[in-house]
Amino acid sequence: MQSIRKLTLALTLVAITATGAMAQHSLEFNFAYNVNFPASADFKDLVNKPAYKGFTAGFAWPVMEQLRIGLSFGYNDYYQKYPRQVYSNGPGSDISAVLSNSIQQMPLLATVDYTILKEGFVRPYVGAGIGINFISFDQYLGEFDNPVNFTKLAARGELGILIPLSNYSATALRIGGSYNYAPFKEYGFKNLNNWGVHAGISVPLH
Amino acid sequence: MDRLKRLLLIGAPLLMLFFDSCKKDPLNNLTNEESRIYITNYDTTANFSAYTTFSVTDSVTIVQDNQFAGRSYDAYDANIINAVTQTMTQRGYQLVNKSASPDLAVNISRVYSSSTVLFSYADYWDYYGSYYDPYYWGYPGYGYYDPYAVGAYTVNSGGLEIDLLDLRNASANGNKLVGIWTGLARGEQVFSSNNASGEVSLLFSQSAYLKK
Repeated sequence: MQSIRKLTLALTLVAITATGAMAQHSLEFNFAYNVNFPASADFKDLVNKPAYKGFTAGFAWPVMEQLRIGLSFGYNDYYQKYPRQVYSNGPGSDISAVLSNSIQQMPLLATVDYTILKEGFVRPYVGAGIGINFISFDQYLGEFDNPVNFTKLAARGELGILIPLSNYSATALRIGGSYNYAPFKEYGFKNLNNWGVHAGISVPLH
Repeated sequence: MDRLKRLLLIGAPLLMLFFDSCKKDPLNNLTNEESRIYITNYDTTANFSAYTTFSVTDSVTIVQDNQFAGRSYDAYDANIINAVTQTMTQRGYQLVNKSASPDLAVNISRVYSSSTVLFSYADYWDYYGSYYDPYYWGYPGYGYYDPYAVGAYTVNSGGLEIDLLDLRNASANGNKLVGIWTGLARGEQVFSSNNASGEVSLLFSQSAYLKK
């Protein structure tokens, strides 16, 4: 909990620092459609299908020519239904149910990314982020559920390319992949780590 | 800048709530059959093969909020009683009249529980004068008095409960009729007569130990 407070403070500082930096540099808005895939064995025990409902949106401020810091918010909706099965509910007790897992991850991250090539039709970049992961965890037995929300740590490593729309435009397509570290440590599941691919756009805001 | 900071600090949590409401709703992806759950509990010390005979109640008891609310024998009840009788017979137990001192008694109940849900339009009366000017009713300058702030409705949910009671050992158990097995079914259309035999079948199928 203490580390989450520290992260919240860090995120606020990044926001304040970055909004100050805006006075000198052009603010960028990023938006991308995401498809994320459960990566860890723990996560795959809950859901092994990709999350097709996902996006990442954020702001980035150039602090140097190739270096940007920013804030990013993501959303991924994981869902899977398992056929009816009998589950033990302790000695002498059994439950037959169709089990559905519905998990949403909403990471709010302080980010930094570095564009490796300043010029060219394709400009590779690397990025990283750390912050808070808001997790909505809902397991249904038939129509009966028990929704619980968690706030956990989150970290992301990212690799991709920027494709400027023209030689004179700072607007660029943003395509890449990421690995998302999502510790969980609830109900015997250590983490909800996942990896994702994204495609979107980066737009300067003047 | 202030607007941006406000957007970041206030807007992000609101966005999270908004997108949380956009998630795929698992309930929309369930059939009525899939919505139902079946829970069985049994006495792990009981020797189910030691019992020989059984008798089933002739009607289904209605229990509302832990109160006896009558007995019923409609199409669903008849189907449940028949299905339980057939399944117990298939499991090797012999159906006898209750006057023949059966080893096992089978009670079948429909258990309902109601809960009251409150909702409030807290500000509704605060602006009532803007919806209905008292002038219209011939009372210019008057105000309105707020008689009710809260609305309420009752949700009633129910489940099928089947109980097996040990009659054979009633004296040995300290003059108690001990429940040695219970089966509960809940969910959509649980009391539909078409679903009765399927419900009994599922409850017994997860109770393989329940046999002569």
